[in-house]
Amino acid sequence: MSAAGTQKPPSVRRRIRNGALGLMSVALAFYFGIIVLLIYRSHH
Amino acid sequence: MAQPLASDTAHHHDDHHDQPATGIKRWLFATNHKDIGTMYLVFSLIMFFIGGSMAMLIRAELFQPGLQLFDPVFFNQLTTNHALIMIFGAVMPAFVGLANWMIPMQIGAPDMALPRMNNFSFWILPFAFTLLLSTLFVPGGAAAGGWTLYPPLSLQTGDSFPMLIFAIHMMGASSIMGAINVIVTIMNMRAPGMNLLKMPLFCWSWLITAYLLIAVMPVLAGAVTMLLTDHFFKTSFFNAAGGGDPVMFEHIFWFFGHPEVYIMILPAFGIISEILPTFSRKPLFGATSMIYAIASIAFLSFIVWGHHMFVDGMPLAAQVFYMMSTMLIAVPTGVKVFNWTATMWRGSLSFEPPMLFAISFLFLFTIGGFSGVMLAIVPVDFQYNQTYFVVAHFHYVLVPGAIFAIMGAVYYWLPKWTGHMYSMALAKWHFWLSTIFVNVLFFPQHFLGLAGMPRRIPDYAVQFTDWNMVSSIGGFGFGLSQILFAVVIIQSVRGGKKATSEVWEGTHPTGLEWTLPSPAPYHSFTTAPEIP
Repeated sequence: MSAAGTQKPPSVRRRIRNGALGLMSVALAFYFGIIVLLIYRSHH
Repeated sequence: MAQPLASDTAHHHDDHHDQPATGIKRWLFATNHKDIGTMYLVFSLIMFFIGGSMAMLIRAELFQPGLQLFDPVFFNQLTTNHALIMIFGAVMPAFVGLANWMIPMQIGAPDMALPRMNNFSFWILPFAFTLLLSTLFVPGGAAAGGWTLYPPLSLQTGDSFPMLIFAIHMMGASSIMGAINVIVTIMNMRAPGMNLLKMPLFCWSWLITAYLLIAVMPVLAGAVTMLLTDHFFKTSFFNAAGGGDPVMFEHIFWFFGHPEVYIMILPAFGIISEILPTFSRKPLFGATSMIYAIASIAFLSFIVWGHHMFVDGMPLAAQVFYMMSTMLIAVPTGVKVFNWTATMWRGSLSFEPPMLFAISFLFLFTIGGFSGVMLAIVPVDFQYNQTYFVVAHFHYVLVPGAIFAIMGAVYYWLPKWTGHMYSMALAKWHFWLSTIFVNVLFFPQHFLGLAGMPRRIPDYAVQFTDWNMVSSIGGFGFGLSQILFAVVIIQSVRGGKKATSEVWEGTHPTGLEWTLPSPAPYHSFTTAPEIP
């Protein structure tokens, strides 16, 4: 029994994991991206 | 929209033995979407009352000119924290709570896709807001530079500065995790046959909102991280003396801030699109165009941030671009307002509390929208900027807009959650008092702004006294009427007339949640329903 109360098929589990990791990467890219952009801007 | 086959609805969970844990463990270790939704909603209500108490203190100070109750610094701390608490503590968690409760039930999923992360994203919030509220008690007091945290003013905050930044980081992390959960749930957990165009509008509005959250919350986090390094590590991102640029902060902040406005209103659009068809006994007019309208508004929200900064000075071309793109938002918003009106047109209307809040939303949100179009006009904004006109504008959008939609949603789905009907009479009293007082509270602020009263001040010229008194009376009335809201909810949780599975009988509401019994079982749709 998973935390969701039901067992998800492996293909759905994989898609959920990949989706979550992908979206988390986008969020981190925005976070570091904006800081890197400003550092770059203040040096050039 | 979608309806399951009759044979699929009969046995959704009966053979399931999992029961909720007892005591505090049920809530601390909650992974059930309904439990987590409940915690979000209760948390949001508590924050609504704390933020509301601050608003009442602000209106008490502004009841007459002169300094009555507080010194100006504390007044500014109140306005800053009122905003932070209402935005991040009341409105956003309320929508996340509704998403947690309703998205799995509307799409026929057993739970959210990532239940443990769901637990984590909720439990960050009490710590974040304890930290934020505790800043009021540290030396130097809480942040007082406004919720926008513009440097250099925000950098003058006392010892509470790092606490504020950490609290904002935690709120952001919570929102991002909530958004990821919504997206992967909707994309992967829909019942067979529930294709995207059959999906209820509330889920659609949340799907688009979740993408906005993932795009902009990290930008806010980046901005406040740079404030932190400017404050403690001698960087000069926003410090002109070190070669930095304080206006750059405004650009970054509003790149977050404007989509944030839509994060607080798009789920409200979704809710109104659920309530109006139910009580009009007609399908939503132009459902597909509603989805395109939400998506267009979301896209436009990324390219209009400059309209918050017209008086900073910017090239004429930029002014024109931001003015035109902002006005363009009125087009998809107009599509929505006309579609809602057309949904009600020649419908068999009835006026239960959710419908009353939805109709009130329609009128009063439109007033906020109109004043928004006025503020989008550059020369007009030059005159209205930093006046009470702006305060009136965004409060019309957020209070009878976002908050009325949340209240309408609670009155709409409460019998489904608790299994009991609530007192219609008391809920209608709550509605009428709220609607009357919210206008008494905010409409005069348009006049004050046009007459030149600046915002964020504890004292004002004598000529502004009368309308401030009226506004304060409206504020006290609105605040006190919210006690009725809490009473109705508590009554419905404790007991009352049994609700049917359809709840709103004779209305033929759409969506899979109405195929479940009331109260919805602890585990629903453990076997996916088939949608033809």
